[in-house]
Amino acid sequence: MSRIGVFICHCGENISRTVDVERVASEIGKHPGVAFSTDYKYMCSDPGQTLLKKAIQEQKLTHIVVAACSPRMHEKTFRKAVEAAGLNPFLCEMANIREHCSWVHENREEATLKAIDIVGMMVERVKKNRILPTITVPVTKRSLVIGGGIAGIQAALDIADCGHEVILVEREPSIGGHMAQLSETFPTLDCSQCIMTPKMVDVANHPKIKLYTYSEIELVEGYIGNFQVTIKKKARSVDEDKCTGCGVCMTKCPQKKIPNKFDQNIGMRTAIYVPFPQAVPNTPVIDRENCTWFKTGKCGICQKVCGPGAVDFEQQDRLIVEAVGAIVVATGFDLYSIAEKPKGSPIKGYGEFGHGKIPDVIDGMTFERLASASGPTGGRILRPSDGKEPKQIVFIQCIGSRAREKGISYCSKVCCMYTAKHTMLYHHKVHDGQAYVFFMDARTPGKSYDEFWRRSIEEEEAVYIRGMVSRLYQKGDKIVVMGSDIAVGVQVEIEADMVVLATAVMPQKGADTLAQKLGISYDKYHFYSEAHAKLRPVECATAGIYLAGACQGPKDIPETVSQASAAAAKVMTLFSKDKLEREPIVARVREIGCVGCFACKKVCAYGAIEEKEIRDRQGNLIKVVAYVNPGVCAGCGTCQATCPSKSVELDGYTDEQIVAMIEAL
Amino acid sequence: MKKKKMVISQETMDVDFVRKVEALADTSVRRCFQCGKCSAGCPMATFMEHPPNRVVRLLQLGQWRRVLEGRSIWYCASCETCSTRCPNKVQLASIMDALRKLSWDAEGPSKESYVQLANKLFLQNIRTYGRQYEMRLAAVFNVKSGQFLKDLMLGPKLLAKGKLKMFHSKNKNLSEIEKIFTRIEEMRKKGEAL
Repeated sequence: MSRIGVFICHCGENISRTVDVERVASEIGKHPGVAFSTDYKYMCSDPGQTLLKKAIQEQKLTHIVVAACSPRMHEKTFRKAVEAAGLNPFLCEMANIREHCSWVHENREEATLKAIDIVGMMVERVKKNRILPTITVPVTKRSLVIGGGIAGIQAALDIADCGHEVILVEREPSIGGHMAQLSETFPTLDCSQCIMTPKMVDVANHPKIKLYTYSEIELVEGYIGNFQVTIKKKARSVDEDKCTGCGVCMTKCPQKKIPNKFDQNIGMRTAIYVPFPQAVPNTPVIDRENCTWFKTGKCGICQKVCGPGAVDFEQQDRLIVEAVGAIVVATGFDLYSIAEKPKGSPIKGYGEFGHGKIPDVIDGMTFERLASASGPTGGRILRPSDGKEPKQIVFIQCIGSRAREKGISYCSKVCCMYTAKHTMLYHHKVHDGQAYVFFMDARTPGKSYDEFWRRSIEEEEAVYIRGMVSRLYQKGDKIVVMGSDIAVGVQVEIEADMVVLATAVMPQKGADTLAQKLGISYDKYHFYSEAHAKLRPVECATAGIYLAGACQGPKDIPETVSQASAAAAKVMTLFSKDKLEREPIVARVREIGCVGCFACKKVCAYGAIEEKEIRDRQGNLIKVVAYVNPGVCAGCGTCQATCPSKSVELDGYTDEQIVAMIEAL
Repeated sequence: MKKKKMVISQETMDVDFVRKVEALADTSVRRCFQCGKCSAGCPMATFMEHPPNRVVRLLQLGQWRRVLEGRSIWYCASCETCSTRCPNKVQLASIMDALRKLSWDAEGPSKESYVQLANKLFLQNIRTYGRQYEMRLAAVFNVKSGQFLKDLMLGPKLLAKGKLKMFHSKNKNLSEIEKIFTRIEEMRKKGEAL
């Protein structure tokens, strides 16, 4: 016979204000199977827990019910206390009489009766609780970092510096990401390349980092501590071991007019190229779509001039399988372009801004490339249309962002600051020019951020105009910008030479596909979701996968770096143990009843269900049944609900327990 | 007042005038971020077509003509509530002062405003008589401003109380006063005074 102990918490006054806790304790004391019941002001406090432990030992209790707040809040606390008193922690359950009762009711009498019912149900349930052993899984102490921008670089360096091997995978030919494209960075105006490239070199030289550039994630299998990742290394057409990075091939390549994506297509590159001179690795790639050899079978000049003979037209895509224990996702962002309407994009387009057809209407990243000393203009601000220096430049904020009906509802977060920076860079480079900014709000929360923005106005003489632009159109070689100043309450018109749009920060293209491969969740914009917005901001709901940088939502560099280091710290926490302990709230298959329909496998969001063959002693196959990998199972219970033969049970939430609870009502 | 569209360019933004205002008021209009606290506390704001915050905003955009066209600067009572409470130390009361001073010579409609006319007549009287001759001031103002009967009925009352004299009396040291005027005029010519 079980001896159940019930502990009713007042939660200060949160519960006792509406629920007569003494009465609940005395009523539940009469319930069959309950050996002990009491109440206390703060059950979660140290004296409260001591009371619980003492009662377990003195009353020889076998099962525990704590009637207090939500199990999300304190289940772990009480299970730990129960374990310390010598009981299996999974013999302790919580009855929620705060969120489910006292907080939502006013009538004291009725609330008290409801609380008695809730506690009674949990008593019936806990009677059927089984002793569950903690699950342990081995941990492979290597990690995968997806994305070689500043987030990926920082995470990789931090993990590698702790002595664990890192595999860094980057889709582009070079690591560096968007930060390598920037000219100077707010709020200190230090040169992005100067702070970025040394880190890129550190990655390349680190003995613990294995770098795969021009590579993509093909397949992810396994679970926390035990992932198998298949990486597709795309054919570079240049042997990385032989290439010395001398660059002769690039000077000789006859295809010289290919728009360089790294320079936002305003600079040109050859068909065999490195995206920018400081690229890591400094090994060129042949762009097969534009290469004469691949188009016509003639040319091959690069192969002829290459001293070490590194150019290899026959190279094929390769698949590499790596075993890792943790994954950091750092795929970053992409800028919305008003020139296109991406398939399935929520953004409706900006006809009033000419759909991106006006050549001197550019986006923020293009301005960065114009302002960058290593950019296509050598750091001079010149119009893409005629190469003239713009004397009147207009910046417009919130293009796409903060426009529910137009595009997306969120704030892109970095635009206010980078536009303030742009006005400064412009003022430094074009002394007789004037910068205007149309804005709705200036959002500058961050260390030294507001001061930076004010500086752009007070010292660098940018004219900020609060109010949005309704329309802009080409008139001669000018762009007429029609806006309004809502502080004055009049329409404003500016004839600008150039317009820079602060377009929305969006996730990388293909973010959803990667998320599906990884089995992580994402929001409607395809930003990856964290496990808890406040308390678990760098972890995915899927165990063993962590987030860093703008793939989770718009972020600036300081924030990205912080999160990358945080993700690295989470990986290190995981790697600090040889075996990983997991809660044993997982599904189990009763093999005798399983008919092998695998409906459960289809609905499992975590890929936890495997196929298991059952053979007799002679080795003849009897049947194939479902098997739940306890290392992967997250205990959501979807399989249990789906199973047509009722052969799946979720430990701690078995049908028997649920029925017992209903019957107790 | 009709709200004209504002065409902004380096030409239409008269920064020089604003610099003058800033120098006179010993403050910076660029510091203002349009929180509106000045207008919130201004006792005269309800009478102004451009409330104090908008006066600063127009100066930020170099649109001082729009400010001087209106009467806001003349309604300002110089109570300095705005300057006292401003989070950015924009000395708005001083700016109003500076604008009033600069409006004397500024081109534009402020020249024809009644305030400016009254000020001119006031000083003319001082120059002629060495002190104020209210009867003449009122009469000339009414004629020049075309409001012949303005406040006419106040005349007898003021006369009866001895507040208004029928005939003028001259200051004995008229030549000294003339010296002040000529000195200021010369200084103004040289640009030493406003």
